[in-house]
Amino acid sequence: MLSVSLYIIVCSAKNRIRRRLQRLREPRYLIGAIVGVAYMYFSFFARMRGARGSIASGRRRSGRPPELPAFLVQAGGSLAGLGLFALAVLSWLLPFNSSMLEFSDAESDFLFTAPVSRRALLVHRLMRAQLGVIFTSMVTALVFPTARPNPVAWIVAMWVMLTTVRVYFTGVTLARGRLLLGDASVRPVAWAPVAVALAAVAIVAQSLVRTLVREQPATVGSAVAAVHHALSSGAAAWVLWPFVAVSRPLFAPGGRPFAAAIAVALAVLTALFVWVLQSDEALQEAAADAAARRAARGQARDKPAVRARATGLTLAPAGRPELAFGWKNAVQMVRATTGVALVRYAVALTVVALMASAAITSATRARGLAMTLCSLALGVAGFSVVLGPQIVRTDLRSDLRHLDLLKAWPVASAAVLRGEMLAPGIALTGVAWLALTCAAILSAAGFPSLSLSWRLSIAAAAVLIAPSLVFAQLLIQNAAAVLFPAWVPIGNERPRGVDALGQRLILLGGVLLSVALMLLPGAIAGGLIWVAFHRWVGPPILLPSALACSSVVMLEILICTELLAPLYEQLDVLAVERVE
Amino acid sequence: MPLTVEHLRRVYGSFTAVDDLSFEVASGEIVGLIGPNGAGKTTTLRSLAGILRPTSGRIQIDGHDLATDPLAAKRRLAFMPDEPHLFEYLTVEEHLRLVARLYSVSDFEGRARALIEELELKGKEQSLPGELSRGMRQKVVIACGLVRDATTLLFDEPLTGLDPIGIRRMRETIIARARGGAAVLLSSHLLHLVEEICSRVIIMAGGKKVADGTFAELASRADLAAVGSNLEQIFMRVTGHS
Repeated sequence: MLSVSLYIIVCSAKNRIRRRLQRLREPRYLIGAIVGVAYMYFSFFARMRGARGSIASGRRRSGRPPELPAFLVQAGGSLAGLGLFALAVLSWLLPFNSSMLEFSDAESDFLFTAPVSRRALLVHRLMRAQLGVIFTSMVTALVFPTARPNPVAWIVAMWVMLTTVRVYFTGVTLARGRLLLGDASVRPVAWAPVAVALAAVAIVAQSLVRTLVREQPATVGSAVAAVHHALSSGAAAWVLWPFVAVSRPLFAPGGRPFAAAIAVALAVLTALFVWVLQSDEALQEAAADAAARRAARGQARDKPAVRARATGLTLAPAGRPELAFGWKNAVQMVRATTGVALVRYAVALTVVALMASAAITSATRARGLAMTLCSLALGVAGFSVVLGPQIVRTDLRSDLRHLDLLKAWPVASAAVLRGEMLAPGIALTGVAWLALTCAAILSAAGFPSLSLSWRLSIAAAAVLIAPSLVFAQLLIQNAAAVLFPAWVPIGNERPRGVDALGQRLILLGGVLLSVALMLLPGAIAGGLIWVAFHRWVGPPILLPSALACSSVVMLEILICTELLAPLYEQLDVLAVERVE
Repeated sequence: MPLTVEHLRRVYGSFTAVDDLSFEVASGEIVGLIGPNGAGKTTTLRSLAGILRPTSGRIQIDGHDLATDPLAAKRRLAFMPDEPHLFEYLTVEEHLRLVARLYSVSDFEGRARALIEELELKGKEQSLPGELSRGMRQKVVIACGLVRDATTLLFDEPLTGLDPIGIRRMRETIIARARGGAAVLLSSHLLHLVEEICSRVIIMAGGKKVADGTFAELASRADLAAVGSNLEQIFMRVTGHS
């Protein structure tokens, strides 16, 4: 079975790499790969080289490399061990399931039906996980280049720790499975780790509390030293020994101490592995549960809704096709907006609103509830106008997967493009207008130094400009979907690889540049009106300026949809990326 | 002629999926498009539906060129693909309403009600695609295709996922549309279905048309006379699987 596992892993990896290299023959992937590699180089490798350079110069200057604080080096193993211990205990108490028991559909169909023992299946799954673990270990060495002078030792130590954690979690999941098997003779054995874990928590907690109360550390350094002392002496040291042993190689200096530490960590890993292999009875049930969860996740992603919510939106039997697209996307938007999606938006919205609030507070030195609400409203408006078109993708970007359907309909291409943007554009503009109205009402508190005339003029100008900003961004995003359909992620799927990373970076840069260029003529038109008349008219001149700016941008949008129409007609459904 | 295809060619990179394909389908005719996997049937149907752009060649729907007058051509066409791709958040009734609006169907309510009855979708009008079985979703796609008065109907494996009752109903539906004057082009691997409802058959292999005619015409061909009049035997012979 070992050779079969190796065969599957090696062939799959080889073919994946070959396929990714083959697609570099296409310019879009080649360019993406170049940009992606450059990004990786400047983000990670250059930093690592820089860090090594600073280590070398540090050596030249002081004779030794820069180091972590001494108390952290000394207590690192204990602290990391404590963290692993906490995770280990929590894994018994929380409804957690190991991903190591998730077999692919092909593995289920081919290997579970083959004359292969459960233990061999576990070994296979562990082996298949190794590529990911090794990659993660390498990434941590790149992200923390100063963590160790020798990155290979760091990667080995990290690999041992991550593998041990995975094997342990697998054992926990299997042990829980054994509890459900109904075999009375197995249950006491399966419950034993839970009892041991609770006893261990009591021992460690008692040692920590006693030491901290006695020593009452005043600084972080002394607190860390006290914790280290509490964990490395008495019964707590025995309890934490396997956890500290697994994490110690990360902090061990090179040479013999590292070799000794890694040998002990490997011994712990081996013991855990034997325990997991002994718990294989529950493998099939646990794997079936994992497969069911995976299927449910996939179903939730592909078909998230289970019932049709009434939207109150009806489609008139006749009218412009744009409105039919707008109706379709509006209905989808309303039904797709689940509680989870709202929470996701709310978090991002809160962050932006708080940032805006902090910026306004520090700039105006205004205080009070009304001021806070005013700045929050401005944050919401800014979020809707600036980030909204990137986040709300209920337009051609999400409809690329229905492209064969759209292309079969007798609708002019320009109308399709305009119609696709209608629902997200109206929704985002509506939110922005509501937020701007709230901000205008509360503006006296938020901007006490501005006169009423200025505040109202700015608010009205913002209301006029908001839709053009929203629709301009939506146009660019949808144009990108028409021009580079393979570069636009569809739904929740994301193509993988360095080339895909580069493609996303290029797309982001292109979108930002295009939006800036598109807004330029409108800004110039509005600016000219402002320069020409503001001395005589005062703040209200902002309104015609904003109106001129918005009108120019809207006109550009209409022209662009017509220009994009032939390109949409040439758009080939086969060009749309299918994720591996 | 409702459907005319002249020298259709579609190339993917260096691979030619459809090569120099020409045929016509008349009003009231049901033509079976058959061939082994990779013969180019689906590419042909997707090109006829306006989803794929032909590399070269000409397609006319009711005299309207699909390349130069696509809107008029598509208004007269209904394509029912093998994979039922529906909008996740639109109900069955909303799908029909949307299609009716896009195709300017005047008496939508009555047509929709009749189709829902005919295709046994009664009670599922307010269901989302995620709540339906694959067969039901296939019926929704077909209902969307039939809700308007198309002169040319393209079916790609219309019976996939249907239960025996659904298969029988679908057969009757296709025949009824042809009797009503529609030109029907039907792609299927189910040779007994093709033999039963089609008046003519086009056999493709390797992207090319290798046979075209009624069963009697094919059976009387000199090179096929020996294999008998059974479609399966004819199919095997002309596709090189003796």
